Amino acid sequence: MQPASSRTPVARRGPLTGVRVADFCWMGVGACATRLLADFGAEVIRIEDRNRLDMPRRLPIYKNEVRTYGEEDANPDPNKGGLFNNYNRNKLGVTINMRTARGRELADRLIASSSVVTENFAPGVMERWGLTYDRLKQLSPQVIYARMSGFGHSGPNADYRSYGPVVQAVSGMSHISGLPGQEPSGWGLSYMDNEAAFFNAAALLMAIYQRNVTGEGSEIDVSAVEAGINLLGPILLDVAVNGRSTRGPDFPTGNRLEYPDAAPHGVYPTLGEDRWIAIAVFNDAEWRALISVAGDPEWAADPGFADQQARFENQDALDAHIAAWTRGQDRYALMHRLQAAGVAAGAVQSAEDTNDHDPQIAGRGLFFELDHPVIGEARFEGTPIQFSRTVQENWRSAPLLGEDNAHVFKSLLGVGAAEYEALVAEGVI
Amino acid sequence: METQSASTLPSPFAGLKVIELADDAGGEYAGRLLAEMGAEVIKIEPPQGAPTRALGPWAGGVIGPDNSLNFWFYNSNKKSVVLDGLEGLAPLLADADIFISTLQPKALKAAGLDLDRLCRTYPKLIVLSVTAFGLTGPWADYKSSDLVALAAGGPLNSCGYDDHAIPPIRPGGNQGYHTAASFAHIGAMLALIERQKTGLGQLVDVSMHEGLAVNVELANPYWFYPKVNVQRQTCRHAQPSPTQPALFRCADDRYVYYTLILSEQRSWEMLVKWMDSKGLAAQLVEPEFADIKYRQDNFYQVQEVVECFFLVHEAEQMYREGQEAGLPIGILNAPEDLFADPHLQARGFFIDVDHEGIGPVKYPGAAYRFSSMAEVPRTRAPRLGEHSGEVDG
Repeated sequence: MQPASSRTPVARRGPLTGVRVADFCWMGVGACATRLLADFGAEVIRIEDRNRLDMPRRLPIYKNEVRTYGEEDANPDPNKGGLFNNYNRNKLGVTINMRTARGRELADRLIASSSVVTENFAPGVMERWGLTYDRLKQLSPQVIYARMSGFGHSGPNADYRSYGPVVQAVSGMSHISGLPGQEPSGWGLSYMDNEAAFFNAAALLMAIYQRNVTGEGSEIDVSAVEAGINLLGPILLDVAVNGRSTRGPDFPTGNRLEYPDAAPHGVYPTLGEDRWIAIAVFNDAEWRALISVAGDPEWAADPGFADQQARFENQDALDAHIAAWTRGQDRYALMHRLQAAGVAAGAVQSAEDTNDHDPQIAGRGLFFELDHPVIGEARFEGTPIQFSRTVQENWRSAPLLGEDNAHVFKSLLGVGAAEYEALVAEGVI
Repeated sequence: METQSASTLPSPFAGLKVIELADDAGGEYAGRLLAEMGAEVIKIEPPQGAPTRALGPWAGGVIGPDNSLNFWFYNSNKKSVVLDGLEGLAPLLADADIFISTLQPKALKAAGLDLDRLCRTYPKLIVLSVTAFGLTGPWADYKSSDLVALAAGGPLNSCGYDDHAIPPIRPGGNQGYHTAASFAHIGAMLALIERQKTGLGQLVDVSMHEGLAVNVELANPYWFYPKVNVQRQTCRHAQPSPTQPALFRCADDRYVYYTLILSEQRSWEMLVKWMDSKGLAAQLVEPEFADIKYRQDNFYQVQEVVECFFLVHEAEQMYREGQEAGLPIGILNAPEDLFADPHLQARGFFIDVDHEGIGPVKYPGAAYRFSSMAEVPRTRAPRLGEHSGEVDG
């Protein structure tokens, strides 16, 4: 392990060593996908534009500086943004002005020395720079060209603008989430940015796996909307097979299930402001365990709660009793008592909770720290997979803007000192 | 490494054999993701069938192990082999590439399965464990479910309504298990690539709880950096402090999603031009609204005019026209709207899968398309024990 202070790129470890990625991705969804490659040994080279800073560099999520959302930093320090740091650890960073002919020439050279190219611009941007799959194959015959977008690279709506919430809306993911008869509660995060990134990362790994066998590259088209439709789950087949309507007053079902007949199955108030616990009971044994933890209250003997079917049908009354019992209890103490009795229960945890109050996560070392020259020490989201053999090497926090220009252009591409100075002077890099 | 031509190889996964011992959607979806790329995935079931066969909804409303649409969704392209007891498992693993297990530590022990020992016995085998909390740690044997996992892992804390008297509301579709499956797929691929280099398999231990803890998007960076927690809001990003609604009801009682970002001059101009073209921009065309500060100070006026604009038009029209105008507007489609979507049809997204007695059923196609891989035909989920005779055990 190198000293933490060193930011000089070193030979990497992991299954993807030897894979160099010319990474045109930006925003969250693109960077989150290539982060997985960088974590496991690929030499991912982020290509950025000084004149059009990546949004995560501009969004003022700063250490020790609470800002109201929308309270923008008019003149952001591109190296201070926490979101960029979060998405771009273990990557190299260069700057290229793609609106200049010399910039595009330089990008061609970088692509020629890479075996993977990634991008998530609006369809057409890479084509404007001449970077079609055919051109990429001329530059790097075995290249894998991974393209991700909201709607995919073909079809009448390929140019539609999208980001996470739009993808969630169009794919049906928002509509299927909420209380019956009310407006959808949908999603409070860009879940589909992350999930589209995971699908894209898996697709890249599949193409790399295939190339290792056949020697042939691939062009990959990932549509976030199509990923979202895959994630709708069995309700999609209920509609396809049974012609079921999801626009009635009985759907969606909030925190309750349609199948199986679980009850109680909900999120209940606990001690403290906006503190909750999720409880899910699937059978008689779990019901008896729950009631025993509750001290065998009289209401539980009501014939309306006699069996699973009855409890499922009387959830309004049942939930009122459960909520009256949970209110006033500590969410963690109750969770552990219920789990000890064999009942599925989990405190609703915030990011603060999973980071600072969760012994399960702490014990498995999910989150980790790396130093950053401008931000200082910062926390990172690890990979929720423990491998007995594969190594995840966290060698560096996110690159400063253009931090690796000299290393990449001079050392890797062989740009001479005079040419390098000219590229700087002309604003190409 | 032996080189073969892609034209003779229907899929790079065609030679891979996967044994699946999964009783929840996490492990089953992971198996399906491998199966639909061409791997031979053999699902091991007890004589009464996997517990997921007992989950509705039901094809034609008829309850039965071969009619569970839940089972169909997560088990297409697989084979089903019934084993009475797990004694017959070991011979199947001898020539397998991947073994998927969803058993938590106590259940493994009760079943007499030792995953570390399996790895030692079969050095090339990749053991893909997909469990609620991972195989180690104080909560390793805690029970979970989709709701409980989303709660403890963090995403649920960001989802719900503006009114915090209403508890956080679970987003639909089994997303806790789907997150676990996403990471299981990635873990399996990394282990397969590692094996191409070293010839060795390994134990891959995926935790749904941790998968969700890193699937909260902005909630983590907001805690890592300014140390604030985000607060849930109705169908829009949870934020450190409240933001304006983004869900607009339309004339046909359907919704569109649109974030009105007052500080973006270009999108403001596009919006007002679009509204004005229908004579509905009202006072927003007045010169003072061209100023960001004025818009922000008179935000409620702006919101009201925009709400009225959407309310007198149908959602589909707002979606199409808004996108044509260059605005990132999304219609809240219901699942039943998707099959007729011209864009998805042009891309041939939905795939007909034949079900005897029912006919072709529309399944979602894969989320990724490769120029280098022939499409693997999609087949229905197996009937219970359908392949018991075919597979040597």
